Formats: sequence, C-alpha cells, structure tokens
Amino acid sequence: MKTNRRNPLSAAVYLKRNFAKTAPLMGVIILAVMLIAGIVSLINSIPYSIKVIYSYSKNYVAVTPRGNPFLTPLLRQAVEQNSPVELERVITIQGSGIQVKSIVGNWPFVVLGLERGDMDYYLNRLKGTLTDGRLPTPGEPEAVISEPLARNLNLKIGDILQKPLDSDNFSPKEVKVVGIADSENWFAFSSIEYLRANHFPNIDAFMAFAKTPADQLTLDNWTEKELSGENAVVYTYRKLEEQADTMFNILYQILNVVIGTLVIVITLMMGMLINIFLSQRVQEFGLLQALGYTKRSLLNRVLLETTIFVVGGWILGLGVAYGLLNLVKLTLMDPRAFALETVDLAAYLYSVPVPIAIFTVSLVTVWVKFKKFDPVGIVERRLV
Amino acid sequence: MIRLDSVSLVYQDHGREVFACRDVDLNVKEGEFVGILGPSGSGKSSLLYLASGLKIPTQGSVFWQNRKLGDLSDSERAKVRLNDFGFVFQYPFLIGYLTALENILVALPDQNRQAEAEALLETLGLSDQKDRYPHQMSGGQKQRVCVARALLGSPKVVFADEPTAALDHVSGRNVMQLLNQHRGSGALIVVTHDPVMLEGADRIIRMEDGQTFSEEK
Repeated sequence: MKTNRRNPLSAAVYLKRNFAKTAPLMGVIILAVMLIAGIVSLINSIPYSIKVIYSYSKNYVAVTPRGNPFLTPLLRQAVEQNSPVELERVITIQGSGIQVKSIVGNWPFVVLGLERGDMDYYLNRLKGTLTDGRLPTPGEPEAVISEPLARNLNLKIGDILQKPLDSDNFSPKEVKVVGIADSENWFAFSSIEYLRANHFPNIDAFMAFAKTPADQLTLDNWTEKELSGENAVVYTYRKLEEQADTMFNILYQILNVVIGTLVIVITLMMGMLINIFLSQRVQEFGLLQALGYTKRSLLNRVLLETTIFVVGGWILGLGVAYGLLNLVKLTLMDPRAFALETVDLAAYLYSVPVPIAIFTVSLVTVWVKFKKFDPVGIVERRLV
Repeated sequence: MIRLDSVSLVYQDHGREVFACRDVDLNVKEGEFVGILGPSGSGKSSLLYLASGLKIPTQGSVFWQNRKLGDLSDSERAKVRLNDFGFVFQYPFLIGYLTALENILVALPDQNRQAEAEALLETLGLSDQKDRYPHQMSGGQKQRVCVARALLGSPKVVFADEPTAALDHVSGRNVMQLLNQHRGSGALIVVTHDPVMLEGADRIIRMEDGQTFSEEK
C-alpha cells in the first residue's frame, strides 16, 4: 500500500519549494530585527554601564557636609541616633577622583579614602576578596582596585592609578596599585590619611551601612529626606538610577522615532515585495478558485505562509542579534569591562513591531487583492 | 442535471450594455457529451462559466440538480465546483512548484486520492511524468495533466473551455479522446471553435452573438 503524500498546498511545501523567493523576504526581517535589537541593546548598555559601574553604592548611603566641614560629626550623629533601621557600621571617608572608560567616553569615579580598620569591612561588604597584593599602608600613596576596574584601566599591581601630571587622575604623588580585589563590583580605595595630607579640600564625609539590602533602601530614603538640603549632600544608588534614567530620556525618545521610522520603511518595502510576489501567484489563486477553493481558504493559506516566514524571520533575527551581541561583548566590551546585556528583553521587545507591522500590511494587501479577484479573468488569461 | 432557463449575461462597456449570452436555454443530461461550437466572441465560454457557476447570470436561472446556483453563497457554489465538477481550461494551467501528481491532487485536497491520481496518470500515458514539474513538460503533457486533474474523483460534469486551443492538432485530438473516454458516467460540456474536436458528441450547440442557434444530434 502506498503512503499518502502530504498536502501539496501546505504552507511548508510552498515555502520549501519557493525558498529563493521567500528567503530574501525572511532575510530582510532577520536584518531588521537584528539591527533594531542590536542598536537598542548597545544604547541600553550606556545606562546599564552607569548602573553596573556605580552599583557599589547600593551598599551604603554617603553624606558630605555642605558649606561647613565641621557639620560632619553632627550629621553622623543624626544618622546614628535617628536611623529608622539598625545600622551595621558607619565609617569616615574622604574621596579623590579618577576617570573610568566607557563606550561613550570617560566617566568620573571615586577613589575612597578609608581608615585601615574599615578597609576589610568595606571589602567584605562589596563581596570582594583580595586575591592579589595587599591593603594600602596608612598615609602612603597606595590603592586597592577591584578586578573590573583594573581591566577597564588596564592596570596591574605596581601600576600608577593617580599622578601629579594627570589632570583626570590627579594626586600630588603617584598612587600605586598595591592590591587587586576579586569582585563583580567596581571600587577603589586608598588610605584616608594619605588623602587628608595631600588632597584639597580636607573634608571628612561618612558612609552608613544598614544590615540588609531592604534596610539599606529604607535608610537611603530616610537620609535623603532628613539630611539632604543646605547642610548636606546625600548620595544614594536610587538617586543615581533616577538621574541616569532622566539623562537618557531624550535619547530614548529619539531612539523611538528612529526605530519607528525604520519599522515603517521596512514594512512599506516588505508590503511592496509581498504585493509583487502575490501578483506572481495570481494565476495559481485564480486556478484554485475556479476549481472550487473559497476565497477564505486561499486567504487563510497565504496568511499561514506569511505568519511562518514573518515569525520565523523574527525568531532567527533575534538569534542572529544574540549571536552578534555576544561577539561584540566578547571581543570589544569584556576586555575593557564595558557592560552589555546580550539578553536584553527590552531591546528584543523593540523588534516586536517589525513582524506585527509586516503581518498587518500583508493581511491588508492580500485581503484587498482577493476582494476584487475574478477567477474567470485569470483562467481566460485576461488578467495575467 | 444542469438546466439553464432564459439565461442572459450582460456586461457594461462604457455605459453600453453588451450581451455575452442572451436568453439561452439549455438542458444537459447525466452522462451527456455536449459540444458548444462558435467563433471567437460568440459567448460560448461565458455560457460554460454560467453553467458551471463561475459566473452568475444577470437574467434567468441556472439549476444544478434542481438547486438554483444563483441562490447559493460563494462558498456553497465553490463546494459544488470542487466536489461535482471538473474543469479543463484553454491554457494548461498548472501550479509551477507542484509536480504533475501533486497538481492532480489539488482537485480534491481533503481526500486521499493518490492511488487514483497515479492510475489516471498511467491511463493518460504520463506515469513517467508524475514527479516532474510543469516547466519540465511539453504543452500536450501539461494539458493531459489538466485532464487528469479534471477527471479526479469522477466528477458529475466536466467542463472544458477550448481545451485544445493551445495544442497542435494531434495533441488536441488526443486530449479530446482522453476526456471522452475517461469521463466515466459524468457529463462532458466542451466549448470549441473547431468542429473536429467534437467528434463523438451527443449534441452540438452552435452559438453566435451570445445566442444558441441550432442543435445537432
């Protein structure tokens, strides 16, 4: 007994045997999806980098006095006595600046000055382990940096982190890297005694650590509300996140316009191509309708074929985007410790309008074509 | 089986009424071979399309097994064409990306007719062509595939519109013989301008200017 062949009018048969026609259409969708997901992922990597680089500030709230350096003990006392949550530790700090590299240029970064007794605590709190080197000696121009920062600045133990003639990474003396800490966090610290003796202005600030992340958030919000103002500047991760989002608001609006335009252009182009390909199949549709196929069955068939190549193209496009982003991350981003999410859901969601718009245009094109379709005109060859 | 009562088909041409068919009466019986003969533009193809439900008359009625085709919905008429009628058109229309066998099977897509389609190909001398695509076949071979497609499922009526027009004389006669021999108990309605092709017809109807003039038996 012979086996029954598959339906000759199945979408799979059409797509397989007309690969040369459907592949370019799918290729356009793949490229469009890859382009959109890739561009958005790269742009998202900028605020993402900010959040990654400064994520160490999730662990504390920092307070610096404003106008009067002698306010620090009072501010510290206010936090210690009135904190709404239990404090794990409050430490005195000073800060000096360096510049870290990003895909959009240099960003400022703080080298904290810590007392020797606070350095171990700070390392532990930031889940850092000193795998190479040692902690800075009090009063000496020495620093510990974390591994991502070392990669970003291409520094190793013994290299100079700050120096007198470098305005971006200034210190009156050459500050040597004496330790590299293994940690996902970016951080750098040196001796507070060195900063007090060599950096101007000599103003102490402090950082307060809560016991748990949830408590830290409560402490951050409380400190901002109670202390932020004419006497103090309060630094929290939430504020930084908010500032980063605001900073990129306009960029995202521009991005939306660009992506929207791209989707419209691609959709129009695809609509025209689909129209051409459907016109080439008019004879087939006319014949089938004359034989007894309903318009609805033909419409369903074309839409199924369209769905397969549109959705297939979108999925493949996401796959190609994922592959390319991984390649970019591996070859360009990781060596400099630049942050890039290769599975950026928001970026992938940006590409969703592509298949939806193309499918909608196809639906309308096919519907309009079938609406005024005359099979007799086709089989009599008046319309072909 | 098929009855046309005072059927007219009127086209509008620049505001002028043009009769493709005018007051045509026709009754086709079961198993009958009816030839419709006439010069180009005489309305014979229009008559065929009216009789098969592909066109709806502007006046008069067409009945298929006592059901008025004009009262049926588009999909009901399509169902009648698919299940009860077979078609051979003037040009050997085949779907380019399907093989000969698959082109035959599209006539009855929901049924397992592969064995029957293969038997038809063998009967029509095309068994070696079953896996070939239309561009690999001659015009005569393609039209024979169209004949096989029209005969699949033993339709109650086969409509053929100038089935030999695109073929040479020998191939044309061959196609007509095959149609006549293998239609089984089904009726055959053939439109042509060549009387030679109507050899074996039970009845020949002559058409001119949209009207039927004489019937020969």
